[in-house]
Amino acid sequence: MKAVIPAVLCAVLLAASPTLAHRVNIFAFVDQEDVVVECAFNKSSKVKNGGIEVYDAVTRDLLVRGTTDQQGTFRFPLPQQARAARHDLAIRVIAGEGHQNEWIVGADEYPAAGTTSSPAPAQAAGGAPEPDRPASAPLAGQTVAAPAVSSAPPASPAGEALPPAAAAPLTRTDVEGIIRSELAAQLAPLKRGLAAAQESGPSLRDIIGGIGWLLGLCGIAAYFRRKQPHV
Amino acid sequence: MHISEGVLAPAVLGAGAALAAAGMAVGLRRLDYDRLMTVALLSAAFFVGSLIHVPVGPGSVHLILNGLLGAVLGWAAFPSIFVALLLQALLFQFGGFTVLGVNTFNMAMPAVLGGLCCRPLIRRGGKARLAGAFCCGAGAVAGAALLTSLSLAWTDEGFVQAACLLLAAHLPVMLAEGVITMLVVGFLARVQPDILSFSANSHG
Repeated sequence: MKAVIPAVLCAVLLAASPTLAHRVNIFAFVDQEDVVVECAFNKSSKVKNGGIEVYDAVTRDLLVRGTTDQQGTFRFPLPQQARAARHDLAIRVIAGEGHQNEWIVGADEYPAAGTTSSPAPAQAAGGAPEPDRPASAPLAGQTVAAPAVSSAPPASPAGEALPPAAAAPLTRTDVEGIIRSELAAQLAPLKRGLAAAQESGPSLRDIIGGIGWLLGLCGIAAYFRRKQPHV
Repeated sequence: MHISEGVLAPAVLGAGAALAAAGMAVGLRRLDYDRLMTVALLSAAFFVGSLIHVPVGPGSVHLILNGLLGAVLGWAAFPSIFVALLLQALLFQFGGFTVLGVNTFNMAMPAVLGGLCCRPLIRRGGKARLAGAFCCGAGAVAGAALLTSLSLAWTDEGFVQAACLLLAAHLPVMLAEGVITMLVVGFLARVQPDILSFSANSHG
């Protein structure tokens, strides 16, 4: 009998399915022109094939519907309707068995309207139109000089930075596009880190705090229900 | 099996809250002063038991322990589970406040029923006690899975699909809970029979 019980327990635990969870976590961020949604029950188990519904947070119109992939992520282009109206996006994950959670992507996270980065380089390569030139010349000088300052000692001559500027003058939109893509690349790991922090389960401190609460409540109940001494 | 906020229709939430309140009323009326500490201790066991995840393969399992509460506390399992779920909702955002009634009823009602059905066996001692405790532990988990599916019957998921998924997922938990309830009740009967004092008087 004594040997059977541990054996049964082991068998039971090995046969267990990973679908038991307390809550489902959702995190979403804007990555250039797309919105990336990441869903997980905890750090190790992602929501696979979970339903995603994207609503306009103001009008509650259903904008996008989809399912997560095997990594628990779902990517969709920023809906034009919400973008034009500058409405927040409410993203809901429906993970089944009563698990559901919502995340709001604020309109302030959207990239500024009308700054599509792709056509700009083509325009620059073909030769920038006349009116852009005076405005872009100082800008181009600034952006090309900036890497030189940060990477090389001040001994680096200005002449080295100038020729590329003269060869292909950058327009304001080019610079904005470069900054945006570079920022997105730099911030993506940070946003992922934030998502991971969102998913952290209850800490030991929370658990011990909860037990303290239970004992305290018991004490209060005992105080009010104590047997009154007959005086 | 914590149902999240915003999944259920208001009618289901209301019915769950009403049923939980009724169960709480019965539980509190039957709860006497001497057993307050037992209720608090088992409430703590329920609160912690569902937080301890045993990593197994790609996922993890956790205990529910509602059968144990039903076997030891009877109707007092209602307030005990309610307080533990309240704290879990408050501290960890498991479930939520509007679904607290539904979640309490889903966990506590099978526990109470399991306790009522299996106590005659547990009272007998010997092999019957072990069998009764096992059935109480396993049955309460199965009942909780069924009631949770029933709550989800009016959502997109539907009763049958939810019940199949939940029962399949909780099959190992049922077995584990049965074994653990059996061990704990057996241990208490030998070491601290006072805790299982429902045999001596009629309360609980």
